[in-house]
Amino acid sequence: MKRRVEIGILYSRSGNYRLVSEACHRGTMQAVAAVNADPFSPIEFIPVERDPEGNADRYATLAEDILRNSGARHIIGGVTSWSRKEIIPALEKAGGTLWYACPYEGFEANEHVVYMHACPNQHLVPLLGHVIPLYGPNGFLTGSNYIWGWETNRVARDLIADASGSVLGERYLPLGETDVARLIHEIRAIRPNFILNNLIGPSSYAFFQAYAELSRQDDHFTPEHCPIISCNLTECELPAIGSAGNGHLSAGPYFHDASAKEVWLVGQPENGGSRPSSFQASAYASVKILACILAAGGDASPSELSAAFASSSFNTPFGTINIDPQTQHATLPVQIGRIVDNGFEKVSITRAVDPDPYLSRYDRSKVFGRRRLKVVS
Amino acid sequence: MKRATRIPILGGAKAFVLHRPHANLTAIIRQLSAIGLSAIDCWPELPPEALGADFVFFDVDLGFDEQFPWAPGEAPIPIIALIGSEAPGRIEWALSHNADAQLLKPVGNSGVYSALLIARQSFAARRRLADEIAMLQARVAERQTIVRAVAALSSQGIDDERAYAQLRSLAMGWQVHLEEAARRVVAMTEKEGGIDQSHRA
Repeated sequence: MKRRVEIGILYSRSGNYRLVSEACHRGTMQAVAAVNADPFSPIEFIPVERDPEGNADRYATLAEDILRNSGARHIIGGVTSWSRKEIIPALEKAGGTLWYACPYEGFEANEHVVYMHACPNQHLVPLLGHVIPLYGPNGFLTGSNYIWGWETNRVARDLIADASGSVLGERYLPLGETDVARLIHEIRAIRPNFILNNLIGPSSYAFFQAYAELSRQDDHFTPEHCPIISCNLTECELPAIGSAGNGHLSAGPYFHDASAKEVWLVGQPENGGSRPSSFQASAYASVKILACILAAGGDASPSELSAAFASSSFNTPFGTINIDPQTQHATLPVQIGRIVDNGFEKVSITRAVDPDPYLSRYDRSKVFGRRRLKVVS
Repeated sequence: MKRATRIPILGGAKAFVLHRPHANLTAIIRQLSAIGLSAIDCWPELPPEALGADFVFFDVDLGFDEQFPWAPGEAPIPIIALIGSEAPGRIEWALSHNADAQLLKPVGNSGVYSALLIARQSFAARRRLADEIAMLQARVAERQTIVRAVAALSSQGIDDERAYAQLRSLAMGWQVHLEEAARRVVAMTEKEGGIDQSHRA
């Protein structure tokens, strides 16, 4: 007889970042089904689902609703940092825990959150460390107008300065904006070495399309010469971008390899043109790790989580990983992928990168080499 | 807008937390460790090693002057007040220590990072200001020297206004403050009985 445990699921099934949300939702439901069907797991998850429909203001009330009106103490959910920050007070009040399956901008380590995707030392720092020596140090920064774009670009400014480069321009678009003409004009005039893309959803898709058009007009802007680089772009959004994405780069803990047989995907039906992504993998890993900790008998309260993280490793689609009990961030591989149609070709793989959410261990000479002295004449 | 540049690197920094064993202390130590600092708790006294630390958090509710290896208001490092009770006497005591930032109790899951950054910046500003004031005080204290230098120069037959202009051009030539130039002129006058020996022939 399995122990029935309610689990909160808080993903938007519509709105600007629907494709990412759907990928997370798919991974969550897939893991719930896997746990429930596993004869060796003593846990049966009962999903308690709420849909904020892409509205940031609904996350807090729906999180409260889950924690107050069901037995769920754990919520798998949230895509944007904005929504995560909205959910946190509800978790603190009710003693709940959020399993957050998306990359974020770092500088947070809340006891009520388990950070299951990459933070800047696992996405932005290695991405710029890879791109700058190959393409040059002068970047253009863009992003959607909220905390992810602001903070990621802020760190990028410092990293680019450390690489002796310049930020040639910085432009933000409102969430959902698809008029990217001015952005493209600026980039064309400035001619950077790369563009750091922190746009999300339709803004990002529109930007890729317009940039592909620009590259047809001006061969400075080919992916081989001036790539668009992203820290949050995965397979789940590639069908929305189409061939305009080809050749551009992204960093993440996982890119799907169609030639490899991955245990977690056995028996999974194809999902249209969209391949499995790190979002799906991270949400899947979150539910599986939670099931594993609950199997020990407790209710995986914040103090039990901390003890479990200190003593255990977990099998996930990212490989066997640890979660740092101090910051509750996952140790993850760092991969850099180049877009090829609906997938990524891996161009760099680093295994098991420990999280450093406050960039406390960042060392510019390790990332960019020693700064060369300029000759003054 | 002036931007505080750079990723604030706090990794490896050392913080002392002067607070009795309590859930608030645990919460602060947890946050400090997550941010990458090494955190040391102590009570009731701040050990002399704290003089070499990067930050000190101190309890306002139960704190008293003798806990610190420095005089009130003269902390040589950034200090952060942990305020629970808002009794006016306690706030007054915290103010007497010139805390660079504050953190309200109960301490939860956040607040330490912003307190660290604010404390570091306001400590640096406080120190810069103190250096500037000390420099200006030293210059004000030299008013009499300037008067004596102008008098020495004008004793050679020029009026005060020209003597003052001459002192300024001497300062410019020597690339020193006016006060320093005045000191030199006075020293020369006292030593050699005049500023320009060639006129005494």
